[in-house]
Amino acid sequence: MRMKNLVAAATLAAGSFVAAAHMAVAADIALISGKPDDTFFQPVKKGVDDARTVVELTGGTVNYMQLVNYDNLGPDAANLIRTAVGQGVDGLVIADWVPDSMDVAIKEAIAAGVTVMLYNSGNIEKANELGAINYVGSDEYQAGLGAGVYFTDLGYKNILCVNHVPGSFPLETRCNGVLEAAKAAGAASEQLPLPPTQADNAASVAQAIKAALLTDPSIDAILTLNPAVADWAASGIMQAGKTNSVAFGSFDMNEAGLNRIKDGTQLFAIDQQPYLQSFLAVTLLNSYLEYGLTLPTMPVLTGPGIVDASNIDATLAGVQNGAR
Amino acid sequence: MSDNSKPPVLELRNVDKSFGPVEVLHDISLKVREGEVLCLLGDNGAGKSTLIKTLSGVYEPTRGSILLDGQPVRFARPKDAQNRGISTVHQFGGTFPLMSIGRSFFVGVEPTKKFGPLKVFDRKKANEIAVSAVQEFGITRIDDGDRLIGGLSGGERQSLAIARAVHFGARVLILDEPTAALGVKEAAHVLRIVLEARRRGLAVIFITHQVMHALTVGDHFAVLIRGALAADFRKGEKTREEITDLMAGGEAMAELEQEIQAYLDESPETEPVQNRPASSEEAV
Amino acid sequence: MSADKKRLSLGSIVRRPETGSVIGLVAVFLFFAIFGQITFLSAAGAASWLNVAATIGIVALPVGLLMIAGELDISIGSMIPASSMIFAISSGYFELPIGVGIAAALCFGLLVGFINGYLTLRTGVHSLIVTLGTLFAVAGLTLTMSVALTGTTSVAVQSPPFIKATMGDFINGIYQVTIFWWMLWAIVLGFVLHFSPIGNWILALGGDKESARNAGIPTQRLTIGLFALSSFSAAFVGVNQAILFNSAQVSAGMSYIFNTIVCVVVGGVLLTGGYGTVVGIVLGTMTFSIVNQGIYFTSFNANLASLIIGVLTLAAVVMNNSFRQMALTYAPKKAEKKAEKAE
Repeated sequence: MRMKNLVAAATLAAGSFVAAAHMAVAADIALISGKPDDTFFQPVKKGVDDARTVVELTGGTVNYMQLVNYDNLGPDAANLIRTAVGQGVDGLVIADWVPDSMDVAIKEAIAAGVTVMLYNSGNIEKANELGAINYVGSDEYQAGLGAGVYFTDLGYKNILCVNHVPGSFPLETRCNGVLEAAKAAGAASEQLPLPPTQADNAASVAQAIKAALLTDPSIDAILTLNPAVADWAASGIMQAGKTNSVAFGSFDMNEAGLNRIKDGTQLFAIDQQPYLQSFLAVTLLNSYLEYGLTLPTMPVLTGPGIVDASNIDATLAGVQNGAR
Repeated sequence: MSDNSKPPVLELRNVDKSFGPVEVLHDISLKVREGEVLCLLGDNGAGKSTLIKTLSGVYEPTRGSILLDGQPVRFARPKDAQNRGISTVHQFGGTFPLMSIGRSFFVGVEPTKKFGPLKVFDRKKANEIAVSAVQEFGITRIDDGDRLIGGLSGGERQSLAIARAVHFGARVLILDEPTAALGVKEAAHVLRIVLEARRRGLAVIFITHQVMHALTVGDHFAVLIRGALAADFRKGEKTREEITDLMAGGEAMAELEQEIQAYLDESPETEPVQNRPASSEEAV
Repeated sequence: MSADKKRLSLGSIVRRPETGSVIGLVAVFLFFAIFGQITFLSAAGAASWLNVAATIGIVALPVGLLMIAGELDISIGSMIPASSMIFAISSGYFELPIGVGIAAALCFGLLVGFINGYLTLRTGVHSLIVTLGTLFAVAGLTLTMSVALTGTTSVAVQSPPFIKATMGDFINGIYQVTIFWWMLWAIVLGFVLHFSPIGNWILALGGDKESARNAGIPTQRLTIGLFALSSFSAAFVGVNQAILFNSAQVSAGMSYIFNTIVCVVVGGVLLTGGYGTVVGIVLGTMTFSIVNQGIYFTSFNANLASLIIGVLTLAAVVMNNSFRQMALTYAPKKAEKKAEKAE
């Protein structure tokens, strides 16, 4: 028994020695990102590209790894983690989208001597539990709460939270945040789930939102959780004849969404500033691997930022550069 | 019957057909005249279907020539053969089970009528022509052109296909095993229609492996074995048994019959033999 | 005699390929009329499912024609977002004239359709596999090009009033003009399938490719034409969506693949070809859309819509199968009697 422990300790020591020897030269970092056609991850990629210049200055590399689709999100992401570990990376930036499938792989990576940074999805408790050095991202619950408060502060009474991936933990958490904000202000909130057979069909989503508005006339505010659904929701609200009476906000944004905020047909967009998530996660991880530097700020929150009529012009400038 | 003074409508002279190094047809010479039924007999794999495809323009002969009315012809496509009056009817009528009688009758040659500036498929006309064409052949049960082909019996389908070929001016009718999948009554229907086609002066090439059917309607017989013509004779020159033996390659048929008889004699005993080990096990 | 006649007429209804879809449509309509609130029956409620039916229907019609001809086209799933993006990038991002963007998107549709048809003929591989290839290829190309050209995967586009009015406006604020395009498409394709000689060719092609070719039908041109038609229609819907919603996304469209197949199958088209009607496809599309959108007018969870559609599809398959069997075994009564007497 003692012998066995000794051997294990020796192996571990040898492993960390190799890792230490490596890190002195340069840090190889991998970041696991969403699927290529997910608009949200465009600024994430921009953040990685910008961070790469810093890492390459210190002789390291950054590998941007992408999921192909979200049909089997947890296991696919876990496999990407194992692939990265197999490639011998020193540091890994990963979003904990599906803890049940991914936590095991993250723990294995840490056990293999890889330093892990959580970003985008998760929280600091999760980072501590797994042994990751920090969490850089937005807090879904806080973001949902922020959106809810924005509505209730303006006096809206019934908020519809449009969930385009029913069952997704982060999206459910956002809607729960909205619900809490509504409760606190004596308002109501419910979810509108969009089944997968229609969640990517523009006309279908628009009609679903119109139907919801017609069947429940007390709904006076709508929150969508992604920018494409926001485009379609805007049409659904218009078709219900309620562009002027129903307040409309969305998570994240695209050009059309920003145009709506400028025109006044959309109230706000919750911005979790994805560029900062990847940029900070990679540079912080690199600083830790290269120089042993750590931040006392835990977690590093990049959101919720709110884009509305007051700051739309500055935001549009950032969009031009692909950072928002 | 036909006399030999008339020139054959269709003639094959020393036709060979090879696929790469494999020679499937070897030195085939055949003639068929107006108002004559040529029965092409042969076992499975004898080269019957290759011969049909060569006649109907799917394949071109590797060597030798095809003559139509005494003139050499070349068919590059099945359509060429059809345009010259050579029509092939396949085993199941070669038609479309889920199409109506009228529609399938006119596939590729749809009758149209003017509808404003547009040309419209004339369903009524198509149905009428199709129904009357098949009724002329004595199949009075078919009287609704909107019925689906798949609802017809095998014999009716064959009859319809033959009536279709005749309607579109076929001079040579190639029938590929038209009676193979049919019951006795249905087969009799089809044979009656073959005789009707002959009466109308068509040259019929009737491919079959059922000697009885061939003897009923044939004027002239050719037996095909392994791609070569094993026998070529006229009606009355050979008995049914002789033809059967020819097709099977000599004595094979007689041997097979003996073997079958021997098997039938033996088989009642085999069952108890198989049961024995089980019962002995029970005894233990 | 009169009773006999009545039975025959009922029989002839049952034997039509779209009977199953009529029954399905009536059933789901009654279901949602009862369980949906009164708004389901209102003009806005009708617009709700008609708008969805129109967008899916424009693609489902040519996909159905292809299926009747014995082929499948799943590349429409990436053709819709591809044409949306081509249009939005050309006319939105690069600010080219609106006509250029629309023409570019539609031409790309024709090109992909031509490639689908050509490869299906050339390789002899089932069109499911060929269009699976183009599905991925077009999706990848769209994504790469849009990121390379615009740095994003979602592009906004504003259309001038004339285009907006013909392609992407709402009549009375609720009915998409797309509904008229769908009706036009149904009339044109209904004429082609049921009244023109080409319709006979399509049925023959799906029934027996070999015999159709031997009968002198230009099967190759017909196949390529049908693939071009389905890709073109998908491209049309893509452009229409971009005009309607003032923006295009790279990823919106994969659900159309299965949704169109469901509409076509519920509409009584035989998956293996040779059998089906345009009316059936239209009814199938309406049925699908009523289930998909009607659920939002009820108190049921929207996730149940998928369950209902699944059950409906299976029921349609079983029902269509037995109706087809009835059509096949049908022989007119009087003819049978006559035949019996004769024998």
